[in-house]
Amino acid sequence: MSNNELSRRDVLATGAAATGALVVGFWMPQRANAQTNNPPGAAWSNESAAGEVNAWVVVAPDETVTVRIAQTELGQGVWTSNAMIVAEELQCDWSKVKPQYASANRDAKEMAPAWTLKVPGNGAQDPSGGGEPEFGARDRTGVQGIPDSLYRRMRTNAAASVKDGRYYLQLAGAEARERLLLAAAKTWGVPVAEVSSKNSVITHRPTGRTTTYGKVASLAAQTPHPNPERIRIKPPSEWTLMGTEQKNLDVPLKVSGKAVYGIDVKLPGMKWAAIKSCPVYGGKVKSYDFEKIRREPGVIKAIQFPIPDPKLIRGRIFGGGVAVLADSWYQAKSAIEKMPIEWDAPPENAARNSASIRAALMASLNETGKVAVNVGDCDSAFRGAAKIVEATYSVPYLPRARMEPGNATVLVTDNRVDIWLGDQSPQETRRSCAEITGIPEANVYVHLCHLGGGYGRNGNGPQAEQAIYIANLNRGTPIHLLWTREDDFINTTYRSMGVGRLRAVLDRDGWPIAMEVKTATDVEAPGQNAAFDVAARYFAPNYRFSMHTGRFHIPVGTRRGVGAPAQHFYRESFMDELAHAAGKDPYLYRRELISRTNLPYKADMIKALDMAAEMSGWGKPLPAGTARAIALEERGAEEGHHATVSAVAYTVSVAKSGNVRVERVDIAHDEGFGLVNPLSVKKQLEGQVTWFFNDAINQEVNVGNGRMVENNFDTFPLSRMKDNPPEINIRFFKSGHWLDGMGHDRATSIQSAICDAVFQITKKRYRDLPLRNHDLTWS
Amino acid sequence: MAVNLTVNGTRHSVDVAADTPLLWVIRDTLGLTGTKFSCGIAQCGACTVHINGVPMRSCSVPVSAAVGKQVTTIEGLSPDGTHPVQQAWIELDVPQCGYCQSGMIMSVVALLKRTPNPTDAEIDAGVTNACRCSTYHRIRQAIHVAAAKVRAGGRI
Repeated sequence: MSNNELSRRDVLATGAAATGALVVGFWMPQRANAQTNNPPGAAWSNESAAGEVNAWVVVAPDETVTVRIAQTELGQGVWTSNAMIVAEELQCDWSKVKPQYASANRDAKEMAPAWTLKVPGNGAQDPSGGGEPEFGARDRTGVQGIPDSLYRRMRTNAAASVKDGRYYLQLAGAEARERLLLAAAKTWGVPVAEVSSKNSVITHRPTGRTTTYGKVASLAAQTPHPNPERIRIKPPSEWTLMGTEQKNLDVPLKVSGKAVYGIDVKLPGMKWAAIKSCPVYGGKVKSYDFEKIRREPGVIKAIQFPIPDPKLIRGRIFGGGVAVLADSWYQAKSAIEKMPIEWDAPPENAARNSASIRAALMASLNETGKVAVNVGDCDSAFRGAAKIVEATYSVPYLPRARMEPGNATVLVTDNRVDIWLGDQSPQETRRSCAEITGIPEANVYVHLCHLGGGYGRNGNGPQAEQAIYIANLNRGTPIHLLWTREDDFINTTYRSMGVGRLRAVLDRDGWPIAMEVKTATDVEAPGQNAAFDVAARYFAPNYRFSMHTGRFHIPVGTRRGVGAPAQHFYRESFMDELAHAAGKDPYLYRRELISRTNLPYKADMIKALDMAAEMSGWGKPLPAGTARAIALEERGAEEGHHATVSAVAYTVSVAKSGNVRVERVDIAHDEGFGLVNPLSVKKQLEGQVTWFFNDAINQEVNVGNGRMVENNFDTFPLSRMKDNPPEINIRFFKSGHWLDGMGHDRATSIQSAICDAVFQITKKRYRDLPLRNHDLTWS
Repeated sequence: MAVNLTVNGTRHSVDVAADTPLLWVIRDTLGLTGTKFSCGIAQCGACTVHINGVPMRSCSVPVSAAVGKQVTTIEGLSPDGTHPVQQAWIELDVPQCGYCQSGMIMSVVALLKRTPNPTDAEIDAGVTNACRCSTYHRIRQAIHVAAAKVRAGGRI
């Protein structure tokens, strides 16, 4: 395949005009040098466009408002919520808004406008302000989002797209609105103070004259704002679009098969790559025999690739491997499965298994660990204790197992890299492209596609780095690398296996005098301080929390909720056990212990518990084999910054056969000063119920001979319709702080709740997930 | 070898090995990318299409098994997204990441053809596709809405 062949085919028909629809024609490098615009209908951004008022807002003469979205839509609703934030301030016609992915290339070349850098207001408890976004500690590699590049935070993670981005998206919408008004005022020769806008229509109030955004957009694009630093953002009391339920703008594309995911990208002259990487992390290819498959249909060549450079992927060490290129992916995959490959894996890695890792974590609990909190004198309290309750809990390694297997399409030419993929961290991917090819980031074009699930950060798997490496050795030919499901289980980071040992001394009334919490995970695991750090959420006058670690070869990373799902499971399970030991109601026991704390948001925590209990009919009789359990979920409740507080009551039945069914879920959820799109929040909450049900009942990946054992949906079951609770009730309550997201660590408490319900019904207490490993039958 | 196929009412002659899974012929050869690949072992249902009206997991069906039969994919359900199931999906705002939803919708259409007014138990038994985002709560409601649309005269 030569460049000439490519250029002959460089203009193909474009697809449907709907935003996000499949585009079958792409510009090729030869054209791209002269023309950086994407074809109409592309889900990704035009680099620049007529009618671009600012980097976020483009208004076309037909009144279409394109809003540039710097985060990836993976089901959390960011395409819609971010567009709503901009449109609220812009005061445009919502029905004319089309989201489009922002350009990571432009982000490499342009700095953020100065007026977007200063956060208005006074932090997380100021309803009129921009909250307290976290940019201070972030670096230029894009791992955390770049503090001052054009789109700043292009990363999609930590349920923080609204938390961190809301204020500058509001500012972007407001700046564009003011420039459109200035343009109209200039056209009419009237003071800008006399014009205002609503639904994309600008009115000169004294005369009643009107014009539209589409008519003045090109003039607005030439009209700078005289003092953009004075622009203010609307507080929630003035919101008219934000806070209303809006249907997600990507949904029509997703019910018709038109949404473009990375796997759907097809370029002229493109070849497909299937891979095998060493199933033991840290291992590489010793040898392979391409001659055995050379004559298989469609096969072009094999390419060995090294262990992906850990410095590009946050230090994670995956395996080296080999790719087979073919005309179609099925040909490449069929051939590579027939190719003999020998691996060279570090013996110490290949010797590990789940039992040895678990034993090492358990042993680490007997060491001092890293003491994060130490209040009072736990040792004395335990020495003289009359009644000690102790429990040890464990959770397995878990992958995200998104439905779309990892893939990336890369075209490298002499002076330019183009990469198409669903990506939660395009700024990092841009850097990987530059590092691997030697082509500067300013010449790297990351074309964001919709992503078939994320569940806690997609950017730390090496699909992009593998594809860039292979494409760089085949410059001029677009390479689409696609993993099998089994490859996807190998080439991903895992939520660390974890153990938690909690001990408490109870006084004669059953209240804790001392509480000690020890958790253990892989040393690299994020979120080790999720639910116990800074201050106990449930009061004990003597409180110690220590973090213990082991070092293993399984690459660990963020997964939905990061540290919270495991730590909420430990904490809330232990509260159920303490309440039982004290002979008290687990709802009222929690309520009392929260009320004894000095936590800044304890009133919200109590409100959530009260509301969930009341919604669930707490205390009302239930049929035999059915039980209720309740738990608190919080993120950030220990300090007076952003926080999200919820409480959930579960009604759970356990059949005598051991079949567990969650019959009903009642969720009381903090809405802070206001939600952007309550519909998306409800969807996220509903989905997390059954997501974490899966964690409780079904899912684990074991390690055997250094390899991940379960690697497809036959051995790693996914929940289905029958697992979904028939009744999910959600109520929101206002609180006095901005929220810390709700897309990732809600309904984690289904784990402790099911375990407690199982205990109530069967009298058996299980502390190791998943429950499918245990006998839940009763008679 | 040349294989003759009818997909969404259009006849195609494609040059592929007879044991190529139907999924890859649909996606790669015919360019209909609405049908998705996920597990490759007929577990998840993301690749569900209809063969003569019967929902099949196309990742595990050789293309030869579809010769002489009518294959329908998500693209063939309606020209403009107006099938009652698609409309119900939009009303309930069902999809999240959406990756499984083409296959899910094809399974639901087949269920409603067999069982026009399904009970919750019939839905549980009849729709075994996996949705990793776990949008099941809205899927169930949307199935009931779609069933009502069909009862009211909607074409299925």
